[in-house]
Amino acid sequence: MPGAPLVRIFLCVCMLLGLLAAPGARAQAPSFAAGGLTVCTNPTLPPMTFVNGSDSSDLAGVDIDVSRRLGTYWHVPVTFVSMDFVGLFPSLEAGRCGMVISGVVRQPAREVKFDAVPYQPTSLVVVARAGTAPVTSMADLSGKVLAVESGTSYAARIAQENVALAAAGRPAIEIQQYPTEDQVVQQVLIGRAFAFVSQDVELAFRQTQLNGKVSVIFQPDYPEYRNFAIYIRKDARDRAALAGAIAALHDSGQMAPILQRWRLVPGGGAQEGTAKAASGFNWRTFASALVSPAFARAAAITLAMAVLSHMTAIALAIPMAMVMNGRDGLLKSAIRAYVALFRAAPTLLQLLFVWNALPQFLPVFREAWFTPFLAAWISLSINEAAYQVEINRAALQAIDPGQALAGDALGMTRMQVYRHVIFPQALRIALPPTINEFISLIKTTSLASVISLQELLAVTQINVARTFEFTEYYAAALIYYLLIVFFFLWVQKRIERRFAWADRLKATSHAAA
Amino acid sequence: MPQPDADPMIEVRNLQKSYGDFAVLRNVSFTVARGEKIVILGPSGSGKSTLIRCFNRIEPHDAGEIVIDGERIDQTTELTRLRCMVGMVFQNYNLFPHLSVLENCALPPRVVKKAGREAAEDLAMNFLQRVNIADQARKYPIQLSGGQQQRVAIARALCMQPSVMLFDEPTAALDPEAVSGVADIMASLSADGMTTLCVTHEMGFARRIADRIIFMDQGRILESAPPEEFFTRPRTDRARDFLSQMIRY
Repeated sequence: MPGAPLVRIFLCVCMLLGLLAAPGARAQAPSFAAGGLTVCTNPTLPPMTFVNGSDSSDLAGVDIDVSRRLGTYWHVPVTFVSMDFVGLFPSLEAGRCGMVISGVVRQPAREVKFDAVPYQPTSLVVVARAGTAPVTSMADLSGKVLAVESGTSYAARIAQENVALAAAGRPAIEIQQYPTEDQVVQQVLIGRAFAFVSQDVELAFRQTQLNGKVSVIFQPDYPEYRNFAIYIRKDARDRAALAGAIAALHDSGQMAPILQRWRLVPGGGAQEGTAKAASGFNWRTFASALVSPAFARAAAITLAMAVLSHMTAIALAIPMAMVMNGRDGLLKSAIRAYVALFRAAPTLLQLLFVWNALPQFLPVFREAWFTPFLAAWISLSINEAAYQVEINRAALQAIDPGQALAGDALGMTRMQVYRHVIFPQALRIALPPTINEFISLIKTTSLASVISLQELLAVTQINVARTFEFTEYYAAALIYYLLIVFFFLWVQKRIERRFAWADRLKATSHAAA
Repeated sequence: MPQPDADPMIEVRNLQKSYGDFAVLRNVSFTVARGEKIVILGPSGSGKSTLIRCFNRIEPHDAGEIVIDGERIDQTTELTRLRCMVGMVFQNYNLFPHLSVLENCALPPRVVKKAGREAAEDLAMNFLQRVNIADQARKYPIQLSGGQQQRVAIARALCMQPSVMLFDEPTAALDPEAVSGVADIMASLSADGMTTLCVTHEMGFARRIADRIIFMDQGRILESAPPEEFFTRPRTDRARDFLSQMIRY
C-alpha cells in the first residue's frame, strides 16, 4: 500500500488543523443546552416539524434540522421530545426541555414570559378551498367560519379583528379551534369552515399533499407573524448566545440548504402522501397502518397504560374503600377529600400538573427517570383510584353485615373474613362498573399525548399530519380501540360465568328468608 | 339432671353491658352445666341475644365475669380459640352464598384450623350427614329451602367441633315442619353431650328441647326453672304476663 503513509500524514495534518481551528469554531453552549440540548416540539406541522415516515420517533423538518445544527455548533447531543402543542410552553417552563422549536411565530405576548429568537421569516396566510375568490381584507371574512389551531395565538389575533367588526356593526368572524394543524385543514376540506389560518411555509408543503385543493385568498400583513422563533426560558445571556448561533448558521451558509430541502423540495418521505387519490378510501394506507409497527407499538402503550393504571388504582382503592366503610376519623376525612378533589379536577389538568407543575416544586421530577409513561401512569392511577374507591365502597356496603358476623363467629380473622367471605361477593357487584371504568380509561389514555406519550391517538394524529389520509388512519386507530375493548368485554363475560351462585337467585328467590 | 355446681361448663357472674346510657344486661349471674340445654325466653329487648353473644365475644361485655370450661373470657382471650370452642347459629343462617354447601362447611376448618382440603371436606360431609343434608352438598345455599339452609348452618358450626353451641332464634324464619327438623338435630346434639344455649320465641320448641328455661326481662334474669315448672307454675308476675301473652297468639 504505497499510498498509506501519505494518507496518514494527511489525516494528521487535518487533525492538527482541526485542533487549532476548534477554539474558534466551537462555541460555548448556553446554560439551557449545557450537557445536552433537549428540544420540545409538536411534530404535526410540516414542513417545520413532523414525522417523515411510519416511525413516529423519526422526526423531520426545518425545526429538526435547525436543532441538530445548533447541537453540532455547541457540540452537545440533541434530544427531541414530541408532545401536543398545548404542552410545549408548560414543559419549557417546567425545565423539561431547553428550548421549544415547533413552527411557533415570534409574538410579543409570549415574550413576556419567554425569550424568543427568530430563525426563519414567514407570513400569515388565510387559505380557502381552491376556486374561492380572494378577499381584500380580514373584514371580508365577517360572518364566516375560520378554523385555527388551538394553543396558537391566531385566535387572539382574529379576535382583535372581531372588535373592529363589532364597532362597525358587522357580524364577527366565527373562530373554531382544533388541536392540530391537519384538523384545521380538514375543516376547510369538508366544508365546515370557510377558511383557515396558517403560515406560508406550512401551506407550501400542504399544497403538495393536497394536490392544489386549497389556495391562499388573503395575506394579512400582521407584523407579529413575520418570523418563526425559538423559545427559551428568560435569560439575557442565553438569548444572546442563541441569537449568535442562529446568525452563525446563516453566515456560514448552513441555513440555506435546510430551507431548500424543506420549502422548495419537500422531503422524499413526505412525497409518498401526494400520490393518493383525490377522494375515496385508500385501503392500502389503512391496511399498512393497521399492521405497521408504529400502530402496534402505540396500541401496546395504550393498553399497557390502561391496564397498569387501573390495576394500581384498584390496589389503592380497596384499602381506601375499607376505611370509608369503617368508623369516622381523620383518615376517612382525608380519603373523602381526595376522592372529591380528583373527581372534580379534569384528568387533562392532572396530567399537565404532574408532568409540568410537579418538577417546579420538586426538581427530582425533572430528571430523565421521570418518563412520560411514568408520569401518565401515576396521574391516571391516582385519578382512577378516586372513582374506583366509590365503586368498591358501594360493593362492600352491599354485602349483608351478617356475612362478616358469621365469619367472626366461626373464628376467622378480619383478613380471612375479607379474603374468603366479603371480597368474592363484592367482586360480583363491583365488576360491571369496574369494567365500565376501565373501558373509559382506555380512551382517557389518549389525553397523555399532551405530555408526549406516544399512545395510539397521538401516533394517529402524527400520521394524519404527515399524509393527510385522515379517514384511513382514524379507521385503523378505531380498529385497535375496538379490539382492545371487545377483548375486555369478553373477559368480563368469562368472569361473570363464575357468579352462577347469584344468577340462580332470581329462579329460587322464594327460598331466601 | 346434671348438678349445677359440679364443674360447670359456663359460669356467669354479675355480667353487665350497656349501649351508651341503655343498660342491656344488669348483673346477670347463672351457671350452665356440661351437656345442659338452656333455652332463654323473654320479651324483645330483654337482652337475650346480647347475653349469648357475650359468650363468643361477638359482643364484648363491660363488667362481670364469664368463665367457659374453666377459662375466663375477657379482652385478653384469643378470639380464634374461643370461637372454635363456642359455635353459633343465626336467625338468618348467614351462609356464604358464593360457596357451595360443602365449601361453606369446609372453609372454616381450612382457614381457621389450617386443615387440609380433603380432611376438611371429609369432616364437612360427616356433619352434613348428621344434619341429613349430605345429598345437597354440591348445591349453592340459594337453591335450598330455609330449613335446609339452617341445617347447613348448624353443620358449618359443628365443623369447628365446639363444646358449646349458641342458637340465636334459629327457627324464627322457618315454617313449623322445618322447626321440628331443627329441634330434632338439637336434641341429638345434646345426646352427644353438647352444651347448648338457645334464644327463641317459640314456646313449643322451648318446651321440647330445654332442660332449663331462663326467663329474662329488662336485662335481668327473673326465673330459672325446668320447663315443666316454668310453663305451669311461673313464680313472677312478669313471667305469667309474658306466658299469657304468648298463649293468646
